[in-house]
Amino acid sequence: MMTKRSVPVVVAASLTLMIAPAVRAGLEGGQGAGGVKSIEFNRDIRPILSNYCFHCHGPSAHDRKAKLRLDTMDGAYKDLGGYAAVVPGKPADSELIARITAKNPDDLMPPPKEKKTMKPEEIELLRQWIKRGGQYEGHWAFVAPTADELPKVSNAAWAKTPIDRYIMARLDAEGLTPSEQADRHTLVRRVTFDLTGLPPTPEEVEAFVKDKSPNAYEKLVDRLLASPRFGEHVGRYWLDAVRYGDTHGLHLDNYREMWPYRDWVINAFNANMPFDQFVTEQLAGDLLPNPTRDQLVASGFNRCNITTSEGGSIAEEVYVRNVVDRVDTYGTIFMGMTVGCSRCHDHKFDPFTMKDYYSLFAFFNNLDANPLDGNKKDHPPVIKVPTPEQQQQLDDTQAELSRIDEEIKQKLAAVKYTEPANPTEVTVPQPTEMVWIDDDTPAGANLQGNTPWKFITKTDGPVFSGEKASTRTAKGLSQHFFTDAKEPLTLGKGDTLFAYVYLDPKDPPKEIMLQWNDGKWEHRAYWGGNVIPWGGDKSPSRLPMGELPKTGKWVRLEVDAQKVGLNPGAKVNGWAFTQHDGTVYWDKAGIITTPAHPQKFDSLAMWQKYFRGLDKPVLPKDIDAIVKLEDDKRTPEQVKKMTEYFVENVWTETSDEFQKMHAKRDQLEKKTDGIEKGFATTLIFKERKDIKDAFMLERGEYDKKGEKVDRQTPAFLPPMNPNLPHDRLGLAKWTTDPANPLTARVTVNRFWQQCFGVGIVKTSEDFGSQGQWPSHPELLDYLAVSFVKSGWDVKALLKSIVMSATYQQASKATPSLLAKDPENRLLARGPRFRLDAEMLRDQALALSGLLVEKMGGPSVKPPQPSGLWQAVGYSSSNTAHFKADTGDDKVHRRSVYTFWKRTSPPPQMTTFDAPDRESCTVRRERTNTPLQALLLMNDPQFVEASRAFAERVMHEVGDDPVARAAHMFHLATARQPSAIELETLVATYRDHLATYTRDIEGAAKLVTVGESKSDEKLDVSQLAAWTMVANLVLNLDEVLNKG
Amino acid sequence: MDPIRDHMLAMTRRHFFKAGALGLGVPALTSLMPGAVRAANSTLTTGSAALGGLPDLPHFAPKAKRAIYLFMAGAPCQMDLLDYKPKMDEMYDKDLPESIRQGQRLTTMTSGQKRFPIAPSKFKFEQCGQSGAWVSELLPYHKKMVDDISIIRTVHTEAINHDPAITYICTGHQLPGKASLGSWLSYGLGTENANLPSFVVMTPTWTGRKDAQALYNRLWGSGFLASKYQGVSLRRSGDPVLFLSNPDGVDSTTRRRMLDSLAKLNQQTYDAVADPETQARISQYEMAFRMQSSVPELMDMSGESKATLDMYGPDVEKEGTFARSALLARRMAERGVRFVQIFHRGWDQHGNVAGDLPKQTHDIDQPAWALVQDLKQRGMLDETLVIWGGEFGRTIYSQGGLSHENYGRDHHPRCFSIWMAGGGIKGGVVHGETDDFSYNIVKDPVHIRDLNATILHQLGIDHERFTYKFQGLDQRLTGVEHAEPVHAIIKS
Repeated sequence: MMTKRSVPVVVAASLTLMIAPAVRAGLEGGQGAGGVKSIEFNRDIRPILSNYCFHCHGPSAHDRKAKLRLDTMDGAYKDLGGYAAVVPGKPADSELIARITAKNPDDLMPPPKEKKTMKPEEIELLRQWIKRGGQYEGHWAFVAPTADELPKVSNAAWAKTPIDRYIMARLDAEGLTPSEQADRHTLVRRVTFDLTGLPPTPEEVEAFVKDKSPNAYEKLVDRLLASPRFGEHVGRYWLDAVRYGDTHGLHLDNYREMWPYRDWVINAFNANMPFDQFVTEQLAGDLLPNPTRDQLVASGFNRCNITTSEGGSIAEEVYVRNVVDRVDTYGTIFMGMTVGCSRCHDHKFDPFTMKDYYSLFAFFNNLDANPLDGNKKDHPPVIKVPTPEQQQQLDDTQAELSRIDEEIKQKLAAVKYTEPANPTEVTVPQPTEMVWIDDDTPAGANLQGNTPWKFITKTDGPVFSGEKASTRTAKGLSQHFFTDAKEPLTLGKGDTLFAYVYLDPKDPPKEIMLQWNDGKWEHRAYWGGNVIPWGGDKSPSRLPMGELPKTGKWVRLEVDAQKVGLNPGAKVNGWAFTQHDGTVYWDKAGIITTPAHPQKFDSLAMWQKYFRGLDKPVLPKDIDAIVKLEDDKRTPEQVKKMTEYFVENVWTETSDEFQKMHAKRDQLEKKTDGIEKGFATTLIFKERKDIKDAFMLERGEYDKKGEKVDRQTPAFLPPMNPNLPHDRLGLAKWTTDPANPLTARVTVNRFWQQCFGVGIVKTSEDFGSQGQWPSHPELLDYLAVSFVKSGWDVKALLKSIVMSATYQQASKATPSLLAKDPENRLLARGPRFRLDAEMLRDQALALSGLLVEKMGGPSVKPPQPSGLWQAVGYSSSNTAHFKADTGDDKVHRRSVYTFWKRTSPPPQMTTFDAPDRESCTVRRERTNTPLQALLLMNDPQFVEASRAFAERVMHEVGDDPVARAAHMFHLATARQPSAIELETLVATYRDHLATYTRDIEGAAKLVTVGESKSDEKLDVSQLAAWTMVANLVLNLDEVLNKG
Repeated sequence: MDPIRDHMLAMTRRHFFKAGALGLGVPALTSLMPGAVRAANSTLTTGSAALGGLPDLPHFAPKAKRAIYLFMAGAPCQMDLLDYKPKMDEMYDKDLPESIRQGQRLTTMTSGQKRFPIAPSKFKFEQCGQSGAWVSELLPYHKKMVDDISIIRTVHTEAINHDPAITYICTGHQLPGKASLGSWLSYGLGTENANLPSFVVMTPTWTGRKDAQALYNRLWGSGFLASKYQGVSLRRSGDPVLFLSNPDGVDSTTRRRMLDSLAKLNQQTYDAVADPETQARISQYEMAFRMQSSVPELMDMSGESKATLDMYGPDVEKEGTFARSALLARRMAERGVRFVQIFHRGWDQHGNVAGDLPKQTHDIDQPAWALVQDLKQRGMLDETLVIWGGEFGRTIYSQGGLSHENYGRDHHPRCFSIWMAGGGIKGGVVHGETDDFSYNIVKDPVHIRDLNATILHQLGIDHERFTYKFQGLDQRLTGVEHAEPVHAIIKS
């Protein structure tokens, strides 16, 4: 729990005063709906002060002019030397009024250079407010919501639910009455869309229309809430907010594998996970005790931000940018505030300071990862996420593995080892030098070099062994080498490579290097300068060996093979002698290696003897250690362990049998690897071990560090319970603490917005003082309080909304209602607005019967016009070329599963206002454009859906155009057409039929658009004509809208 | 919106529908929509009033009615094109003095270099025109038009990587989410031709470095503005505007038949529920139908004279080239498209300046010149602002190997060169000076904010007053820091 702390004093300014109509009209534009009957500071005055004054006289100490602040009562009333900005009750004595009405431009406020001119009605409002006492209130959204007594209303019979009481109270005050209840056809379509994002089936319509029971509607709502389609629909809004995408979003914009997080969101909504838990697992799933795989997946919330790996990027700059994105997203989603301004300065309008910003920043400042994504789909940290089928496979394989292990164990227990009477004698081999190159190169070697190999004899210069040495004089980088030796060097453990070198004292090189080829030239050792740039320095591909050897004498060079990445089993087929400048002689080169050791022994004693004498780590470490102990120093357990190892792996009597079981086990392990490789990954959050210091960043710049800050929640909000950890988990708990005034309000407002098209606070992204005043503040508080009380029950909240009489009203508008409330903020009529992009496409697929209801899994790529990715994509990006998927289960899935390339999202979505998912979006615009019309008429997927819709109708209804038209209309609208509607459709059909009877070829072309095949048994002219009618129906305003 | 008036208008139309026959066509319908009449009849709309846009715009009499932005994505090498640095010839392979670099940050592509050897431009420069501006041999056609344009050599930015930098100059912010220049113009000024989008983007082919920097839809996106203001990106092949063509087997008559019924049924819906959006939808479908002819008409070059085509050069015959895009831009300007932006890629010369830069300049030199001349010949240059430039500049020091024949250049945000022409911009001006290294600005810096303020200014917009409230802020294209139009290049 949060500790209680005094919140800004609330002075209930319940001034009821009628304002002149002109003033009222002036307010309507910006201040919600309807007339204003009283002056409320927060609703009427604060926005004016905020808009015109706070920039210089607001919360920001840095920008404050003349030491005057108008955002607090103390500031406004302060004695400024015989006068004050606001003198309660006395506008004429108030400097504020004098300045906003000043004739002299030097005195006028706001200063003319600010180019903001106060409207006369705003000035009048300020004057009236001061006259009535000039009272201040704390900003409403920063005071915890309370649910007071339900308001009294004129028609309690209509206002059955608490929501309706609040709505009706406002309607009463405005002199409006609610609309009648929508008919059942309208209602079933509306609520089905709102809870599942899809249209109802005719059977569902029928069942509801015919259900005479008093709770028929509630049963319908409950059924929809239980549908798996619910999570797919409601989760989609959340995916906008968290900026979910299938690519990294910046620069190359490569593929990012993140869909398990998307599925987690959908599942969480379907399971009706309490919203506080939903929030906690996403903000801090990784910090929960023993987090489950799902909770780790959820922590991907903070990894949904766009990332880059652009060449030349400065890691720390990108790191800060990533954290900033997380802070801004947190601010918008949970606080309903634009905190980003405070990245550079104290917020000018809200009491959110720069220090608050970086204190919040500090919570997110600890990701244990490279900020650059490496252009990889699995930018660490990630977690593997098997599908249920994969998990099953894995579990089965693991079980089989356990069985084999058990079998081995039992078998071992059954074997009794006895030392043979006449064991085979063994001698311990010693590592020996094996020369590979001396006077000549190995058989099959393909000699190459900057210039050909050159051998000299003793008469020409120094030779170490045999008759000849190779030599080279170079300016800059030069080398001779060979590959393709017929008998490669096979490496064992502990092997050493060697070569002899002689550096000319008169012309020494800057650097010498040996390189080995085991298929790749990635094994190098060098002495001296480090001017040869190949490979990665201080790695097996460029291992430093120290200074150059002494000149003028033969020196033996030795390199531990494993240190240059040549592990046991590697086969070296090539060798290079490389130098930078100078004259160098090379001679005798090869390897020091132990001949292969025997695999099988008939005697434990002999085996011990052999390995005791062998200074090479061949045996497993623990076994080797036991073997090397004196006999009497071993514990019985050690003896048992060693003997078992011997019996299982080495003893001639038994090891064959065990080997078979080992082979089976190896096979299963390989299978396990294969299964695990098939697992999807998803980005998760992981805390660094130590806490990275966070600082105020001057002007938000990553390299301008100021004061160090701790993890703290914003000072103007109730503080965090001191018992909570100061990490993201603590932040999550604070966020969902009932005393937090913002989270519940901001959340219920978004759900309201989903159903009614506009939030109670229209600016759902901004609950600050620049945001809009709520249309129904008490209702918002009521919903927030009951949401928390219900245990953050999302389904219950949505149910309470759609069960309200308000929601169930008919959406017909009248001219007078339109004039008074064009945006339907007062809700004297039901909601009506255009469906979202996803719903439009899903509806077309559903009505046509094409929709594949498969849930989850990798994102899919239904067709889109060619060239869109290519036009923008970085040439070497792995998403530079779009290739549509094929097959119903890919191209006809719900749109929530459509692949989202963030720098070029699917046009079917963005044309209808879907965001690009590059940054957090909690409210979509709803536009109405000719490009939308073109898309719905001509996009091959919509044309295909039209054809399939036509086929469905032709199959379901006999050969009567009137019946078919009626059925088609009914499917799309959930109601029967009127006579004139029916007549229009049939007439259109007949005209199209006439056209396509003449133009069979055109008909055939039309019906072959799209992925699915048309039914060849149907008459092609009829099918084409019905396709055009279906195309018409799918473009009807009524079908595009939720009415 | 005036709901009552709209309602009354709709009532009239309803009576018309009741009385009329089914096959009602465009003219009859549009005659009832005042906004659309002009549009339906408009061909060359120079001088016609705007549709949409804000009532208080323009803030003052605009010099330019529209703009064409030739965007060189990837950042051209200013010292090889327009910022002549003769003293560098003596400094070949010498280290960039620390007094010049001043420890300023570099991208990590060269910050690890041991040396910063100076790479003088290998290209010859010549003083041109009456103004005597220095222009590189890579831009022979530009040499002919220096007296038509103002060159600014001192544009600067803070961003040093492509993605943030190009997002910054196009949307006013380094991070995604803000509205692009063109969408601001659509929002503020509306369109002069309802049958075409008011903001059109083209992404032509290029011939220099193949592995070119990416573009992003956000560069012409609408950010927080409604999506109807976003740029319409013309495709290089297929339907230029997405989903413009009817499906195979559907001709214009059939589509018209379907649309007549659609309008009639939607009118029924309007009668029943009186949602003004329904009326808007009816007119949008009509506009869509008109676009099905206006866009192909726009794209059809057959009416262009040989002289005009020759002026743009041989590439104009090929679909999707910069030359073709430049000519299309002129055709759009004629038809009242408010803002055209051509993003030409491939200017990121980290290496192989000698090989790639001439190819890039060859792509754009003649067509850019032709566009300015073409507009001038048609008397449209005065009211059409043309802008040429990239997202930042490049370093005088070589990235990677340096020879007299070839070199590479890394990103450089502290100065770069652009030019502007027409739309009230003076001709023959060279504004701003950089030091001998084209590294730091010596005189008259122009931040990219100032550049955007200048563009808005020429279109009659005071950038400080052009705001949109979002997330509690008055958002501006030029952001919160001070910006000022470049008065020195503006005709009084």
